[in-house]
Amino acid sequence: MKRALAVAVAGLVCAVCVRAAAPSAIAIKDARIVPVSGPDLPRGTVLLRNGLIEDVGPDLTIPADAWVIDGAGLTVYPGFIDGLSTWGVSPPPRPEPAAGSNAASPPRAQGPEDRPEDDAFERAADLMNPSDSRLQMARDAGFTTAAAFPERGIFGGEGAIVDLAGARGRDMVVASPIGQYIALRTRGFAAGFPNSLMGVIAYVRQTYLDLDWYKRANVVYAAHVSGNKRPGYDHYLEALGNSPRVLLPATEAQQIDRMLSFGVELKQPFIIYGLHEAYRRIDELSRSKTPVFVSLKWPAAPKDGDPANVPDYRTLVMRDQAPGVPGLLARAGVSFGFYDDGVDKTADLKKAVRKAIDAGLAQADAIRALTLNVAEIYGVADRMGSIEKGKIANLVVTRGDAFADKTKIEYVFVDGQQFKPSEDEPAKAAGDTAALRTTGAPPALGPQYPAVRAMSDHGVETSVCAIRACE
Amino acid sequence: MIGLANAIRYAALSLLITAAYGDSLVIKNVHVHPVTAPDIENGQVLIVDGKIADVGKKVTGRGAKIIDGHGLDLYPGLINAATNIGLEEIGSLRDTVDLNEIGEFNPQLMARMSFNPSSSHIDVTRSAGVTSVLTLPGSGGGRPGPEATVFYGQGAVMRLDGWTWDDMTVKAGAVLDMNFPVIGNAPPKPFPEMEKEYRKKLDQIADFFENARRYQKAKAAANSDFKPDPRFEAMIPVLEGQRPVFVRAARERAIKEAVAFADRQKIKIIIAGPEEIGDTGPLLKARQIPVILGDTLALPLHDDSPYDSRYTLPNEFYKAGVKICFGTFDVQFARNVGFQAAAAVAFGLPYDAAVKGVTINAAEILGVDSQLGSIDKGKLADLILTDGDPLEAKTNIKMEFIDGKQVSLENRQTQLYEKYLNRP
Repeated sequence: MKRALAVAVAGLVCAVCVRAAAPSAIAIKDARIVPVSGPDLPRGTVLLRNGLIEDVGPDLTIPADAWVIDGAGLTVYPGFIDGLSTWGVSPPPRPEPAAGSNAASPPRAQGPEDRPEDDAFERAADLMNPSDSRLQMARDAGFTTAAAFPERGIFGGEGAIVDLAGARGRDMVVASPIGQYIALRTRGFAAGFPNSLMGVIAYVRQTYLDLDWYKRANVVYAAHVSGNKRPGYDHYLEALGNSPRVLLPATEAQQIDRMLSFGVELKQPFIIYGLHEAYRRIDELSRSKTPVFVSLKWPAAPKDGDPANVPDYRTLVMRDQAPGVPGLLARAGVSFGFYDDGVDKTADLKKAVRKAIDAGLAQADAIRALTLNVAEIYGVADRMGSIEKGKIANLVVTRGDAFADKTKIEYVFVDGQQFKPSEDEPAKAAGDTAALRTTGAPPALGPQYPAVRAMSDHGVETSVCAIRACE
Repeated sequence: MIGLANAIRYAALSLLITAAYGDSLVIKNVHVHPVTAPDIENGQVLIVDGKIADVGKKVTGRGAKIIDGHGLDLYPGLINAATNIGLEEIGSLRDTVDLNEIGEFNPQLMARMSFNPSSSHIDVTRSAGVTSVLTLPGSGGGRPGPEATVFYGQGAVMRLDGWTWDDMTVKAGAVLDMNFPVIGNAPPKPFPEMEKEYRKKLDQIADFFENARRYQKAKAAANSDFKPDPRFEAMIPVLEGQRPVFVRAARERAIKEAVAFADRQKIKIIIAGPEEIGDTGPLLKARQIPVILGDTLALPLHDDSPYDSRYTLPNEFYKAGVKICFGTFDVQFARNVGFQAAAAVAFGLPYDAAVKGVTINAAEILGVDSQLGSIDKGKLADLILTDGDPLEAKTNIKMEFIDGKQVSLENRQTQLYEKYLNRP
């Protein structure tokens, strides 16, 4: 059912692109192909049409209408997938107090029943903004896809698998919802409950207990409607119930211990993200079979830090060992991917992956972690993550091994749409600020969000797809 | 059983003292620990008009009342060289806290004038053998950032007995309480920016000193248009080297910066509350800058520091040849000053240095050594009669004298003890 829907959506995306763009059939000929799902093809052809991989193989007949790219000296990889991102997600608007009202702030939350910091119902799929300048930044580093989440609050919202280009926000969406993003944030004392880590964990636990009750109550009610009081409709729990998995944060060893048992307690499939100190918990992670996403924001000395602040030994070890975590995870057979964690420059993203490879991650494992692993973790390996017939045409074409020092990314294909990465950092799209001005939206709420929140499906569309198609 | 015997003996002593109240007094049959001189076994001390008139194996005090010390130990009263006693009753009740005045430069404020002579902390601290304290107008707190307080005001040495702040003052304006600016550690700001702010603050302080010097000069010229200014007036003893600046500096960098500041301004300073020594020892020794140490029983500064890095700190300064004494930098734990010194002994500090650190050294550093700090002729008779080493937690203070007058050892804790002992 879901799959059929996704195909229909993909069809729609192509319909839009085809109208605007040149012929969609592209053949990348005589290139080295790394399908990830199978052995490398030293020399082969990939045929793209209508945003899908029409065929791949060593000796394909190239159709007459296909635009041919000479792949000699090039390597074709599946497009990279970011495991947990905010790329393209406009922060959802906060309800603002009425003008002139004295009640500037909402009443302090007293307990879980007030659902503080609960944005579980926000859907990344509905918040996608194709003019977010980070999309180009990410594409230039070889990322074609992201598991995008709204990430405000303790319950951040429902994520979606999105391709990192599209005419409209909804054109970018591949699958939704894919999970619920949880951040164990504590708030200032003045904000009310929850005000401690203990409180936040208790709150998340209670909310999932409520969800369990809610589900069972509705089943019982559905069987015995007459004569029974309805259990009521809960906006927050509906969203939580829709999310097929939970993403839990854990960077340090103790946090990993805590989240491994907490995830089990929640009785939901779960993913752990962070993992920088996972070199101390490889066995535990391997035994638990929990998929994980490793943050690409490697711990480092703060820029312009006070030279008198000597970091402690544990911090130094973490800075040293964290990039080795992906290699350890791969060797231990843990299913893992990467996520950008706010790294917002093309060069930095590439360097960050490079760092993991230098610290012992095999090249093939790195590619798998950036492609098929993530697709498998989110259950979308049937349509992306490898170069196979029928999958979405998300590809990275490089000259040289991906992430090698002198390697250049020649082309990136998103939904069959061809992009040529620029060597320079993208300038902030002019549309960003213009959009802000036209809608009069308040400034972005945090560093995670660039000042582009106002662009939506219904807003002014200076779509990347359309611009690129004209080239 | 022993407790009962002690109680009887104590009662007997109390009776004696009531009888012996007068202008002159001899305490005999005590083991005298003058601190500045060798101990005197079975010694005697003559007190006349509140001062120590003689100390020795045998003193002549004709007509003096006599107290038999029954072989107990006689020490000078302990001095706590950093407290806020009298200026704060309950930290969490704003109405009872009189610290940290707003404003960057308040050298004219005097802690002694705000001193509450009825504070419960006085009795509690006194009963632990502490007879005088330095009371400071600041606590190191106040407004953070570029407008942080520089001068809180003047600290005073106060005796812990009396009816008014005036008659409790041993030395007014003993120190100028200074919060040395630090290069902030707030993470949102990059270091170069914080350093710039810090340099700016130092410039402001330098300007203030320059203005104070101009004032000093103008005052000396005594022209008819000279207008007195209490702030600059309060700086004159500092400029003349009469009033040391009590510089709160915890970290190595701050200590070095404070020393450089003292060199530039040619003023006397005391380093207060250091939490590490780094390589500041030779700097301090060369300039004879003394140090008032805070809590010995504190956690290490860094996760990786040895567990005992704060316990050994007093000895580190001592070994470096720096004169040290102890303060608690608080109110409710001011009674523990002796134990802070004792903890340092367990971690290397020579015992004598610890005793001096709560007696004569404190008196010297605070400029009251002509009056306090040892059992010497001519000094105020601030004495404690104990059943052992005053740094030892199990030792009891049996009698205490401030200005030659026996003071009550009753306090809020003993009152509560009595109250609940008598609960039916």
